This record gives sequence, C-alpha cells and structure tokens, in this order.
Amino acid sequence: MQLKSVYKVPNGKLLKIILDYDINNKQINKINITGDFFAYPEESIDIMEKKLIDTLLIKEELLEKINSVIKQYNIEFIGLDAEGLVEGILRCIK
Amino acid sequence: MKEKWRLLKTQNNSAFTNMAIDRAVMVANSQDKVPPTIRFYTWQPPAISIGYFQSLNEEVDLEVCENLGVEYVRRITGGGAVFHDKELTYSIVISESHPLVPKNILESYRRICGAIIKGLKHLWIESKYAPVNDIIVNNKKISGSAQTRKFKTVLQHGTVLIDVDVDKMFMLLKVPNEKIKDKMIADVKQRVTSIKHISGNIVSFNDAADAMKTGFEEEFGIELVDGNLTKEEIELTKKFEKEYFSTDEWNYKR
Repeated sequence: MQLKSVYKVPNGKLLKIILDYDINNKQINKINITGDFFAYPEESIDIMEKKLIDTLLIKEELLEKINSVIKQYNIEFIGLDAEGLVEGILRCIK
Repeated sequence: MKEKWRLLKTQNNSAFTNMAIDRAVMVANSQDKVPPTIRFYTWQPPAISIGYFQSLNEEVDLEVCENLGVEYVRRITGGGAVFHDKELTYSIVISESHPLVPKNILESYRRICGAIIKGLKHLWIESKYAPVNDIIVNNKKISGSAQTRKFKTVLQHGTVLIDVDVDKMFMLLKVPNEKIKDKMIADVKQRVTSIKHISGNIVSFNDAADAMKTGFEEEFGIELVDGNLTKEEIELTKKFEKEYFSTDEWNYKR
C-alpha cells in the first residue's frame, strides 16, 4: 500500500515522504524521502532509505533505526532531524 | 600580499551547463589544479533548479515549463526549487581545509553569505543573514544559497535577485494544495524582494557582478583575478553535462 505525507518540520524544512508498506505486519517495503532540507553527505539519504526497509512503523523502532544510521554514517542534517523524519513517516499511515 | 583567487563570469549558459561547470570546478579544485574560484553566472533560457532531495514531478509543472521555454535541472546541493530568471547566480569553490572557510557547515554559510551582504552594500542595499541559507532585506528574502561538500571541497551556490516575477514562478512550481495557491502567492510576494524592488532600478549583470566581486574581496581579504575555465574543466563540464545533468536518470532520480 502506497501513501504520502507532507510535513513541515518544526523550525525546519518541508519534508515529503512516499511510503510503501505491508499493511499486515506494518513493515516498510519502500520509502522515498524528499524535500528541501540539507543532508551531508547527500548520499546518506539513499542509505537511510535502504536501511529503513523492513523497519516496523512504530515510533520507537523508527527513531532507533534512524539514529543508528545517522551515527554510523556521520550524517549532518540541516532543516531536518530524526524526530521530524519519524513524524513524517508516521503521518503517511495516520 | 593578498591571496589571489580566480574569478569567472559565464553568462547565458543552459541549466545543464551551469550545473556541470560548478561540478567541474569543484573536481578541478579538489585536485589542486585550480585556485579557489568565485563564479558569477546567468541562465539562458530561464530555468528551474530543484534541490538534490526534491522530486522533479512533485515540485515542477513540466508542461508549463515546456510551453514557456523554461529548462529544469536537479542540483548537487540540497535546498528548494528556484526559478532562475532575472538574477545573478554566484558560486564559490574552495577546499574544506582552507583556513578562510569555517569547518562547521552553518558557520561557513554565514561567512560566504557575508560576502553577498557586503556586495549588496555596494549597491546601497542593507541586508542581513537569515540562517540557514537566506539573506534578507527588511525581512524579505533577496538571496538564497545551497552548499555541498564533496572530495574535501566546498561548493556553495546561490542567487541574488535582480528582479522577481512571483506570478510566473508559481505558474512553474507545483504547490502542495491548489486551493490555497492564491494565498501562497500573496504570502510569497510579501516575503520576497529584489534589487529592483528596493532601489527602483534594474542593475545590469556586470554592475551586480562588480559589487559582488568587491564583496567577496572584502569578506575574505583576497584579490579576485579574472580567469577562464581550463581546458580540463571544459572537458569535465561536457562529461558531467552528458553523464549527469542532461539525463532523465539524474533529473528524475527522486
């Protein structure tokens, strides 16, 4: 099932997410993270999208996964943060 | 003695060429083949550039672009969609390890925007930095910038609006909610300005470039020397244009 969200991150930029997820087990099949934010290095968003596959659509699970990718790949966001990303993702299924 | 940096003025290039030149200079500088470089440029025909993380189909009305002869391209920098029409566009390419550029990304935005602010002063315009990537005059945006760091090199490019046509801009850009489009246009008109709106005059590209040149020289305490792209940069530009910026694979990446 594919859904979309548009979310203005507080004090940040406009985040637009396209989410394809498994309605039965609430896992991410595919995710597209777009928007007018900045991320350094830029390629880290491609990595983030891949790493989020199969993650459960539960706030704590998403936050833990996103924070671990940020740490592992030393990602610096401007206009976006882990909490904003989680909120954007969860708004797809609200 | 002042450090000498290279100044490039390249007018009237296509969107693909402009983005390819910025990348080519970045690669050449990262290999120590060219000095730190400031470029001032324009877009012919007018073009929309979208941020690296944006979706072309989501942000841009491609049919209207085709009808009005407006080009479109994805940048290698993040940030938002920009309609490049009556403006001076600048870019700076410099090593990440250069002592004049702060290591911290936010501080480096502030420093580089400082050059534009000083440049605007030479056009009798008082402006100030609005973090992260804007410069404002009386709370209205006159300049926006975007930065990337690759190959241990900083590239920041941005606009200085000479004039602005918000109605045309909104014909080209898609808005999340069509119902509030008119309100959005009214809001943006309140929040965007240009050299023409402030001073009543249209400054030429060359006059704006002269002012910005002085701004960069003052901010960084350097001397800008007129130069050209090297043979290798021209070759790289052609390569990047062909392999990246003109391809659907690149422009429809997201």
